[in-house]
This record gives sequence, C-alpha cells and structure tokens, in this order.
Amino acid sequence: MSDALNITATPDSQWKRRFMQPLLRQRSAMVGLAIIALYVVAAVFAPWLATHDPTAQDLMASLQGPSAAHWLGTDSYGQDLYSRLLYGAQLALIIGFASVALGLVAGVAIGLTAGLMGGRTEWVLMRIVDGLLAFPELILAMAFMAVLGLGTENVVYALALSFVGPFARMTRGDVLQVKNQPYIEAAQLMGVSTAAIIWRHVLPNVVSPILVQAGMRVSIAILLESGLSFLGIGVVPPTPDWGLMISEGRGFITMAPWISGVPGVALAILLVALNLLGDGLRDAFDPTTQKDA
Amino acid sequence: MDCAVALNPLAADMPGSQEPLLEVRDFSLRRGKAVVLDGVNLALQPGETLGLIGESGAGKSTLALALIGLLRPPEVQLEGSMRFRGTELTQLREADYRRLRGNKIGLIFQDATAALNPCFTVGEQIAEPLKRHLGLSKWNRREQATALMHSVGIPEPRLRLDAYPHELSGGMQQRVMIAIALACNPELLLADEPTSALDVTIQAQIMELILDRVRALNSSAVFVLHDLALGAQVCDRIAVMYAGQIVEEGPSERVLASPLHPYTRGLKSCVVELGSRTLEPIPGQVPPLNAMPAGCRFAPRCPKAKAICGEQRPLAETRDGRQVACWFID
Amino acid sequence: MFQAASAKLAQTLLVLLFVSAASFAFLKLAPGDPVGIMLGSDYSKASYDQLTHELGLDRPVVFQYGNWLADFVRGDWGTSYITSQNIFELAVLQALPVTLTLAALSLLIALVIGIPTGVLAALYRNSWVDVLATTLAIGGNAFPSFYLGILLIWLFGVDLGWFPVLGFVAPWEDFWQGLWHLTLPAVTLGAWYVGLIARITRSSLLEVLGQPYILAARARGEPAWRVVWVHGMRNVLMPLVTVIGLQLGGMLRGAVMTEVVFALPGLGMMVTTAVLNREYIVVQAGIMLTGLLFVAVNLAVDQTYQFLDPRLRRR
Repeated sequence: MSDALNITATPDSQWKRRFMQPLLRQRSAMVGLAIIALYVVAAVFAPWLATHDPTAQDLMASLQGPSAAHWLGTDSYGQDLYSRLLYGAQLALIIGFASVALGLVAGVAIGLTAGLMGGRTEWVLMRIVDGLLAFPELILAMAFMAVLGLGTENVVYALALSFVGPFARMTRGDVLQVKNQPYIEAAQLMGVSTAAIIWRHVLPNVVSPILVQAGMRVSIAILLESGLSFLGIGVVPPTPDWGLMISEGRGFITMAPWISGVPGVALAILLVALNLLGDGLRDAFDPTTQKDA
Repeated sequence: MDCAVALNPLAADMPGSQEPLLEVRDFSLRRGKAVVLDGVNLALQPGETLGLIGESGAGKSTLALALIGLLRPPEVQLEGSMRFRGTELTQLREADYRRLRGNKIGLIFQDATAALNPCFTVGEQIAEPLKRHLGLSKWNRREQATALMHSVGIPEPRLRLDAYPHELSGGMQQRVMIAIALACNPELLLADEPTSALDVTIQAQIMELILDRVRALNSSAVFVLHDLALGAQVCDRIAVMYAGQIVEEGPSERVLASPLHPYTRGLKSCVVELGSRTLEPIPGQVPPLNAMPAGCRFAPRCPKAKAICGEQRPLAETRDGRQVACWFID
Repeated sequence: MFQAASAKLAQTLLVLLFVSAASFAFLKLAPGDPVGIMLGSDYSKASYDQLTHELGLDRPVVFQYGNWLADFVRGDWGTSYITSQNIFELAVLQALPVTLTLAALSLLIALVIGIPTGVLAALYRNSWVDVLATTLAIGGNAFPSFYLGILLIWLFGVDLGWFPVLGFVAPWEDFWQGLWHLTLPAVTLGAWYVGLIARITRSSLLEVLGQPYILAARARGEPAWRVVWVHGMRNVLMPLVTVIGLQLGGMLRGAVMTEVVFALPGLGMMVTTAVLNREYIVVQAGIMLTGLLFVAVNLAVDQTYQFLDPRLRRR
C-alpha cells in the first residue's frame, strides 16, 4: 500500500499515469460506442434481420427454448423472442432518443427564455422548473402516464416532460454565465441585434455541454422506459418492449428463463455501453477530470 | 516516551566528536530515466544552518523531501548515502523512518494554506505529532499545543486552538506550520521556501521566528531558498544547486562575497544591488529533466565553458573550506 | 447564519407549495369523473349536482385547491375506493416506513461495500484491482435494477433457496426475519448505489491524496492508513454526500422497481398499484408524499454540508 501512497510525495507526479488512464477511458468509451453501433444496426435493420413478425402469436410453439425455428426461443404466447429482441432494440432507441430530444428542445427553450428575459418571467419559469425538479423522475413519469394513459407515444411524452426540468435548469445556468461574458457586452456595444447575439454567441456556448448531458440522459430514458413497461405503466402489449418482455417472463423464470433472460441481458449491455460512452464523452469535454490519472 | 530509532552506536553523541548530524554522500535520485539529483554531497553539523539555493526546478525541494523520506522506492530510485545521526536513511525501514518524521526531522512547507487540512482545527493538527511521537495525554496535548502556538507568536493561542485553518491569515497559518514542525523539538528542521508565499512585510518576521526557534532548540536547519542574499544573511553555510547538482558550497559570507562557480557568480549579478546600473541575467534555461547534458550541467550556459565541460562532470574541488564543481576556478 | 437558514426555509416552503399545486393539478387532470364514480352507475342529475356541491367541486379551482391543501395538512387524505382504507394510514403509516427501511438498508450496504472498494481502487489505481473495481462499479450503476432483482430471486431465492423472495416482514416486529426478507431487495437496490459510491470515492480520494496537506500529514510521521482514512477520507465525505443527495432520484426509481419485483408494500408499490387501478387519489397522495420526502432529504443533505466542510460554516 505504501507504494501507492508514494505518488502523493512526488512534486510533479502522474506523468506515467497520465498516459495509462486516458487510454483506458478511451478504450472503454470506444467499446461502448461499438456496442451501441451494433444495437443501432440491429434496430435499423430489424425488419430484415427478424425471422418472424414480433407480435405473431403461435400458442402451439409457446415456451420453447432456442431452436432452428426460433433462434432464441419463444415466450408464453409463442412469439419469437429473437424478432421481439430486434424490434425491442428499435423501440428502446427510438423512445430513448425521442424523449430526450423532446425534453431537450422544451427544456432549452424554457431555460433560454428564463435566462435571457430575466425579471419576473425568469422567476416564474424557474419556480415551475423547481416544482418539476422536486419530484424524482420516475414518479413524475408515472404521474404523467396516469394522466395521459398508456401507450408508446405517451411514454415518450411522459419521459420528455420529466426531462424538461433538468434541461431547463442547466440551460438557464449556462445562459446566465454566458450572458455576463465580456464578448456579449462587446457585441451589444457594437450594435449587433439581440437575435443575432443569441443565435451566434449564446446558443453555441450553451449547446455543447447540454448535448453531452443529453447523450448521457438517453441511458436514463431507456432505463425509465423499460422500467415503466415492466411495471405495466408503459407500452401496451403486444408491443415488443424489453421491459414488458422481462415482466412477462417473470412467472416463467424457472421453466423458461430465457424469456426474461434474453431481453434482460440485451438491456443491461446496452445500458452499460451507453454509460461507458457517456463517461468518455464527459471526460473528453471536461479537462479537469484529466487529473484523475 | 522518546522514539526508538535504530541509531548507529558510533553516533555523534560521543563527547568531543565531530560527527556531522547530517551527512549526504554521492546521493542521487532517479525517476525513471531522469536523474533529478546527481551526486549531492552535503554535511551539516549540529546547530548549523545550511541554505540550499537555486532556481525553480533545481531540485532543492526534491532534496528536502528525500531527506525526510517522502521520496522513496519504488516511486524513485536512490543511490548513495544519507546519514542522519549515523543512521543510513536510504536503508531505513518505513516504520523507523516514520518515527523520525515530525519527531527528529521536521518539515515546513512553502504554502501553509494548502498544507493544513481544512477539515481539522489547527489545535488538532499541532497535537498530532505530540500524540504520535510523544504520547501525550489529551490535556497535555492541548497545553503543549497552546505553548507551541505562543512560542511562534500567535496571539491568544488558547482561543485559536479550535480555529480552522481558513479562519487564520496567511502569516498565522505559516506560524502554525512552524509550530507543527517544531512540536517534538526536532534535531533537524527542513524549511522549504517558508516565506515565499507570504506578504513581503511578514517575510522578515517569519524568517526571524524560525531562526529564533531553531537556535533556542539548538537544532540544525536546512533552508531551501531561491534568494542567494537571503540565504547568506540567514544561514551559516550555503550550498548552491543547479539542475540537481551542488555546484558550490561553503560558509555563506565567503560564498556571497567571492563566488567561485560561474553559476553562483551569475546568481549574484542577477540581483539588483544599490549602485549597480544593469541587470545581468544568466542566458539560457535550465535543461529539461530528460535532456540533461553530459558532463557539467551548467556548461551550455556558462561563459567559461570549454570542451572538457561537455564531456566530464567536474569533481568537487575543495578550497579553503569550500567545495566548487568547476574545471576552471580562478 | 440565521438569515441564510430562514431564506432557505422560505425557498423550501415555496417549492413545497409548488409540489402541492402540481399534485393537485395532477388530480384535476386525471381522466375520469370522481362524482360519477362515487355515485355508481345509476344516478339522477339532482343527486349528481348535490354530491358535486357537497364535495365542493362546483367552487372555483383555487378554492378547491385551498380546501384540499387544508385537508392534506390536517392528515385527511381521503379514503381508497378500492380498499376503503384511510389513505393517510396507508401511505404514511404503512408504505412509507417500508420504503425508508429498504432505502436505509440499501444505503448502508452500498456504503459498507462501496467506500472500501473506492479506496482500494484509488490506492492501487491502474492496477487490476482498480480496473476490476471500476468495471464492477460501472456495471452495477448501469444494470437495470428490476432485472437484477429478478436474477437474484432466481439464483438465490429459487435455485439455492437461501433467501425468501417475496413479502415484507417489519424488522421492528421481528428483527432477524425482517432482515432476512430484506436482504435480496437491499442488495438489489444497493447494487446501483454501490457503483456510484465506489466511483465517487475513488475519484475524490485521488484528488485529495494529491493535496499538500496529505504530504504534510505524512511529513509529521502519520502512518499510511491514517493518512488515507482520517486525513484523506474526511475530505472525501463532502463530495460523497453531495452525490448521494443528487442521485436520490435514481435511488427512488430503484426503490420503486425493487418494491414491485419483491412485492414489498412500500410507496413505490402503492403508487404503481394505484396507477394500474386508476385510483388517482392514491396516486396523488403518493406523488405528494414522495415530493415532500425528496424536498426534506435535499434540505437535510444541504444542512450536512455545513457540518462536513468547516469552510462553509459562518462564524
């Protein structure tokens, strides 16, 4: 143990470590990216890669293990798990990105307005955001689902609404920071129009950290989406959704573990890959974390 | 309860012996391929003060850290010998070295604000070595800490015991640092640029304080400084370091009055003196650690350099009590 | 300090007000006609109007809100249509303790495992220990908790039979039984937290160990273990608590999933069942309660900052 502590003794240490750790990070982020790319390919080409219609039931062939006819087996309704897996990837990615994109746009809009207008508008908007942020995301999403009703589309809206809060707060904070920069004042003095200032100076500086956040949020979105479906408050059967599939497979865990197992593993791997990529992105954009070498 | 260090039975406590308190012979420190300290030779008698002078990156702080044992294998490689009271430090077990640190050897850091833990009161931090090395009881520790704070000139020490570092000014913090370093009456005090981070107005005060305390304890001290004149003023002997090597060493007045090594001469003329008209900087820069020249490391910047300087490292020549590492002393 | 505290309190109250308004709005937005439901299938317009008037539903919305809020504060949260149970009793006296117990146990497990893991990863950084620990941490954090729960049930509950897989036994009624029943759920929820704690501990500790005051402590002769665990960790507590506080939302999400998977009658289970049964009044109680809980815990976490970092205390 003492040898590891010696690192603190050297006045300018970390020279060798500085090489190793970023490589490690980079590698894991690259691995994450590769895995995600794989999923995207599966999702995009699902209609061609699938062997069956994911919602086609065949009760005669239910609860079968992997076979030539059904590569990953079937569930209790005889639906082909392999095909459902592929379409599930499609659904997860679509819901994940759509909800984040929607939440991003709405949240950034609110944050921009609040930050730029200031005064009473800002106060009111931010208090609403505070109210939104006072609830844990899942609870918020569940509440929205209760009001909107079940279904894929509603899941996207519910999740998007849950994300508005964090994005709005972040955007407003960044806008406030940028607003006070000298170059903004310089532009104003030079007579540049407000719209142009916003478009050319404020937005670009605010957008990049938000985008990194958004990227990291996709994994949360997918987790929430499958969680909601697992609870039965998300998409409706027979939509091929991994959370739904896991839930359906619960009762058959001993006799047909693949029903929960297959989507579960797929979900876990995707989430880990997204997290790895998110970490890598965050480190790449934040120079202070380079110290962790 | 004093520390139980494996002492050399032939150590300096014998009456009339001139065994140095600290003896560094051909000491080198390597980090990977870079030779940070190259063949350092030093000797310090009990009660003597030594000034280690050099510019940033010369290796002075590295030497200080190595002396107190905070730079050891496997992080770095050590060669040569460092003897403290006859004990060979490079071979010392970590557990034994720990008993020396903060006890018989004290270290004052340059930046007191950063060297004090923000989550503990100054009293707690002063009391730490008292507990670890002297085993004092809680009440005794508080009393002793108060006395120490008083001795370093902190007003109302009893109140300040429970203060947190951020509640004190920079000067106060440095005094606390000094108190911590002196807590167990060390025989050797290492001070790494103790006043560099302070306001000019307090620098003299703090310097005086350290000297006063060192004399009161009859300890030896090594001051790491970048100011030649200050070093000469404050210390008995001076050792000038350049790029990890000691280039000149000797009694301070003599070194200051008539420097023999070209680098020391250059340092002296860098300082603005009353009556002088020009500033004469030393041309060039300290070579990077991984690109040290063979032979004399100062040769590339030396006005007197000849061929041999680039080939062979000059041996330390002793002349009227001084050592100079140069082929061309006049 | 008093000023800062009262300002904070005022801000918190404001947020609570919004929480309540949002919960109230939720109920108003929910589909379904409460009066119609209460009256059953066959009713006349007169009785409909009468009940509407009795319930105060013909008053302006703001008035209704005020009434509702007054009722809420008094503890009158209504009765469940389905179980005829007093909702306050259900939510606060039955469900809340379950969730809190689960959360506390999970956090404990996560701290006990996560902190040493993070410390080890920091001390032996870039070694296989570090890589393993970091990998496990990332995995634990990303792994969907409901799936983990199912796996644990399958492996430890059904296959090996070491732990019970369903149901809740209150530890305050039967300590060991309760603990035994809570083991798998707590491990499931803890797994998510462990990853987080380990990573934060690791990165914070690495940063702290590079600080001069650590070197200074060593220069005083302090042994390595003490330098790390006393001098070092003391400064890690602050970022650790910050992250734990920030990630409460994730923790609650995990709690909801875990409760449903293990059939624990906590808040998560309560809200989920209510949404599935379209019992909006219970959902509303759940929302309100979790919102309150959230705000309260955030406030508590805020207060600990002062305690943890002396630099934040105002003397």
